[in-house]
Amino acid sequence: MAVTIRRLEEFDATEGFDCGDEPLNNYLRRHAWINQQKSSIGVSYVAVDEAAPGTVLGYFTLAASSIPRDRLPKKLVRGLPSYDLPLILLARLAVDKRFAGRGMGRALLAEAFRISLQVADEIGCRCMVTDAYRDKISWYAKYGFVPIDGAGENGPQKMFLDLRTIRATLQNS
Amino acid sequence: MTLAAKSKPNPTPQRPRKSKFQADLAPSEDSSLRALKAELQLTSNSEFLVDALTLFRWAVLERKRGHRIVSESASGERKILLFPRLERVAPDVDLPRVDLHWSEREIESLAELALGQPARPTEALIRAMRG
Repeated sequence: MAVTIRRLEEFDATEGFDCGDEPLNNYLRRHAWINQQKSSIGVSYVAVDEAAPGTVLGYFTLAASSIPRDRLPKKLVRGLPSYDLPLILLARLAVDKRFAGRGMGRALLAEAFRISLQVADEIGCRCMVTDAYRDKISWYAKYGFVPIDGAGENGPQKMFLDLRTIRATLQNS
Repeated sequence: MTLAAKSKPNPTPQRPRKSKFQADLAPSEDSSLRALKAELQLTSNSEFLVDALTLFRWAVLERKRGHRIVSESASGERKILLFPRLERVAPDVDLPRVDLHWSEREIESLAELALGQPARPTEALIRAMRG
């Protein structure tokens, strides 16, 4: 199976997508296209089989965000330019259950990293964050995401990855 | 150049339809086509069209993914392909903005991570990026 990852298109077949998590299914089926094209609050990328290019096997969504400088600890930002801290948010990532365990999640994550590096080159950005489900923390940690302190005990865990860490993998290859 | 597609009536509904193309080329384009066919050792216009289609499809996919198409010389000099039709499919790399809720402790932790030294890549990250 030859898989391509590309931007979500209007007539992609998302109805049959099932990753086992209804909010993630529902986002792809109902909101991803509208958010991308009309509301402009997230761009979704989908993995598709080249033999059936409209059927979505997995997806991720990226958006940009930032932390206002005046909310950052003064001791840490002293001497830095007076700009907000820009972030790339990996808002969602899911793989259809039928294709789980085949490295699809890893391929989607790697593509999200490549796009993030490209965005960082264009507009400047230092890090990527995600809101991980508790049972996925170790999966993200495997790729270098670090838990951010201060999250509640039951909700999703914010995690951080420095884009320089990702860039280092390309420079050393 | 004009391009016309001619299709014969389909004898059985299940069989994939083949299309025929007829192109009116200016003399300079025609000689370019012949030179390219000779250079690439292609014997028919169909072969030429199929290869050209493969190459064009790849280029469109790459630009749709936001990738640039670059040629690099032996000395490392790089040239980026700028082809107006391809730029129509290129995505805008600016991502839309969203606001997240951050607690004070989360912001402090994030700032320490973001303003500190980057961690070394994990083995899994290295494999993912090289895969």
